[in-house]
Amino acid sequence: MIEISDLTVRFGGVTPLDDMSVNFEPGTCGLIGPNGAGKTTFFNVLSGFVKPAAGTVRAFGEDLVRMVHFRRARWGVRRTFQTEQAIEQLSVFDNVAMIHEHSKLSGASRRREVLDAIAFVGLELDPNARVGTLGAGQRRMVEVARAVVGRPKLVLLDEPAAGLPDDETEHMGEVIRRIPEHSGALTILVDHDMSLVSACCGMTAMLDFGKVLASGPTAEVLRDERVIRAYLGTEEVA
Amino acid sequence: MPSWTDIQQFLVTGLSLGGVYALSGVGMVVLYRATGVLNLAFGAVGAMGALIAWQLINHSGLNDWLAFAVAVLFGGVVTLAYGMVFGRLLAGRDPLVKATATLGLTLILLGVMDLLWTTSGGASRSLVIPTDNNTFQIGQISVTYTNVIALALGLVITIVTGVFLRYTKLGTAMRAMANDREITATLGVPVQRVTAAAWFGCGLLSGIAGVLLADLVALDATTLTFLVISSLAAALIARLRSIAITFAAAIVIGVVDAELTPVQSVSNYRDMTPFVLAAIALLVLNRRRVITIGRQGM
Amino acid sequence: MANPAGVRSEEPTKATEATGASDPAARRPPASRVPEASALVRPAVIVALLAFVLLALPSLLSLYYVDALTQAAIYSIVALGLGLLVGRVGMVSLGQAAVLAMGAWVAARILFATGLPYPIVLLAAGLITMVLGTLVGLPALRLSGLYLALITLMLAGAITVVLASINFPNGGHGFTGYNASTVHIPPIRRPSIATTDPAYFRYVVIVAALMFLLVLAHVSLRPGRAWAAIRQSESAALAAGINTTLYKLWAFALASFVTGVAGGLLAGGSRYLYSIDFQTQDSITLLAVVLMGGIYSIWGAIVAGLLLELLPALLNSWGVSADWLTILFGVGVLQVLTTAPAGLVDQVPKDLARLGRLVLGLFRRTAPATGSSSK
Repeated sequence: MIEISDLTVRFGGVTPLDDMSVNFEPGTCGLIGPNGAGKTTFFNVLSGFVKPAAGTVRAFGEDLVRMVHFRRARWGVRRTFQTEQAIEQLSVFDNVAMIHEHSKLSGASRRREVLDAIAFVGLELDPNARVGTLGAGQRRMVEVARAVVGRPKLVLLDEPAAGLPDDETEHMGEVIRRIPEHSGALTILVDHDMSLVSACCGMTAMLDFGKVLASGPTAEVLRDERVIRAYLGTEEVA
Repeated sequence: MPSWTDIQQFLVTGLSLGGVYALSGVGMVVLYRATGVLNLAFGAVGAMGALIAWQLINHSGLNDWLAFAVAVLFGGVVTLAYGMVFGRLLAGRDPLVKATATLGLTLILLGVMDLLWTTSGGASRSLVIPTDNNTFQIGQISVTYTNVIALALGLVITIVTGVFLRYTKLGTAMRAMANDREITATLGVPVQRVTAAAWFGCGLLSGIAGVLLADLVALDATTLTFLVISSLAAALIARLRSIAITFAAAIVIGVVDAELTPVQSVSNYRDMTPFVLAAIALLVLNRRRVITIGRQGM
Repeated sequence: MANPAGVRSEEPTKATEATGASDPAARRPPASRVPEASALVRPAVIVALLAFVLLALPSLLSLYYVDALTQAAIYSIVALGLGLLVGRVGMVSLGQAAVLAMGAWVAARILFATGLPYPIVLLAAGLITMVLGTLVGLPALRLSGLYLALITLMLAGAITVVLASINFPNGGHGFTGYNASTVHIPPIRRPSIATTDPAYFRYVVIVAALMFLLVLAHVSLRPGRAWAAIRQSESAALAAGINTTLYKLWAFALASFVTGVAGGLLAGGSRYLYSIDFQTQDSITLLAVVLMGGIYSIWGAIVAGLLLELLPALLNSWGVSADWLTILFGVGVLQVLTTAPAGLVDQVPKDLARLGRLVLGLFRRTAPATGSSSK
């Protein structure tokens, strides 16, 4: 369970997060909202790149805001970014192993856990292939593997399916759905693809102008008037 | 402890140098804001202009002021040419890459200058601006008109640039481009023309600075090329933003550097002034905690 | 708990559809299991080359070129350090000449003041330079990109001024070891086993090889992977749990160490050190040749060293001014930055391949047309 209370972020003259309060329940949670709503800023707070002006983030009993950013990965925060971050010169194995070795997990089980994560994301990825030789969809799955290796507590997925064709998006959805059961992690998914969100997430919160407009069971939130209005012109979600 | 006369005399030197650093700094800041290029070749371009002027005066018998005009024009043209070719080729790249590219230009110019005007053999050249010979006295110190021109130009150029940026169409376009090139283009601003103007203007200032520094300091390719660091320091203190602060910082740098000359104990180290000030400016003022998401420059 | 074998059997068709392979048997074995022989070829070539350089080369060349190659080997170490910073970590330093000067200064001071054996002196020069370089670089690490490059330029400039004032040790006493009134300056000593130029050349090559091995070890292990992550994206590296400040510092320290050792070798090589040999322009030229040689490859450092020291020697012997090289390097910087970020080492094989295809194409065209398709 993750409790966000009165989280506020200010820089320049902008307030990307304005008194954000929401509780994310165990399992896979969605975070939706129009562009500029503050979703990536929120992830940046969780990753430690941005210091909030006010508010707290309590995750699994710990105050996350107080932790130094590079320690959070060790503690169990994993994240994918909107732009590809898998390292092209290294192999799939090395990319995933890097997360593992910096998370203070035991070296003995490393090989097994890395291969396990690579297998978990499917797509028959060859651990020895250089990431630079893989296609876009495969690279995304490498990033997901990086996010689930070892024993993560919190997995943050920032538009993981952006730009992917339907079949790969579907595969992504299936993998995301299985993350909590595979690793026990609480997963927060940010995406604009409403079908992906409703397929994966038990609960969803909606952010607009840095405030939480609605939160609760995904189906209800997606039907909420305010949510539809905020998306202005987006087709009604099934 | 240096005498009061000394302090005053060196103040004059310092103010003149500061004036030149100011106009150089302003040129670099405006170009950076308009194109994202920190022109580290600024000094080298000016140096070559000065050497060309020297050549024309001493070997072709050209009128002094015409030669200076050629030097200034040379600065503008070379910088513009560079900007139109490499500025465009590297337009989307990281500021680090763009600045490193100007180092490439610097090396080319240094090589050419050493080829054409070698310093081996003890050849020592000097550039003398006619106004050097017109002096007047303020109390016990003598001031040449060159000193006055240097400071005055620095001041005038800073003010004119400020006015230009704020009140003219071209200037406003430059300020808009500093914020976001692509959006500005969609607003119908002739980005290419504005960019060209920025490069040319910066180049002209290179030429002016080159001639003045060749007169005030020395006509030596390496010296003049790396004097750009003093202007760079001023620009960095202004965080590559405010030309008013650039002016003030440049004056301070010029004065401090000059005033340390008569102080025996540190005189040898006074050349460190721009380096140290720039380092401080970088560490204290420009300490942006930039955690970039995505590909780095090289 | 997902079982690799289990996953595969559950979704074979889906996986093969995604990867486009129509037949599971067509899946190639992982690249590294392809003939192990090819993995041995590379080290074998390197060892053979090294043996040639050490044993045969000095006797084949005149002392003039032996000296040029000694300098080339020394500067290839410096290029190695800079290439590490720029290529692996993404940190541009415009001050490596000053770091080299520090190493040379420390080595010269120790060599004049003590009778310590050469390897110890080199180690000391490397370690002291490493400490100094790291201390000076510590505040700079908070900067990135352009500002980091600028501050290295500034710090190097400041060091150059200090050096011009205190000069290099010349056998004098006191902290600086510089005696301004010395008429007969003693040369800096060399290792007892390598006093002649050819012998010193071999000594330098061996030390250089050790430095290359040291860096290679770093790059192949955990620091190398962390550096690759940082170069790609500092934020992703942080999110992966990498202490980026530590690893950046480590890179700085390693680069300073090898450059310091190179400085020590330079002291023994040149035997007389002058501050005019370490100017700001030299740091820029260094960056230029490193860029041209290729920042991503270890071979690039060797190319850089040769560009910097062998080419001038060649030009000199042909009566051509070295200024042409300065111009060439400037052009090289522009060329690399605009077209070939991986540098010559990557570009030349590509260019040669392209040239090869061109020649083949010409050849085919001039041969009687047989109606078959041409590439």
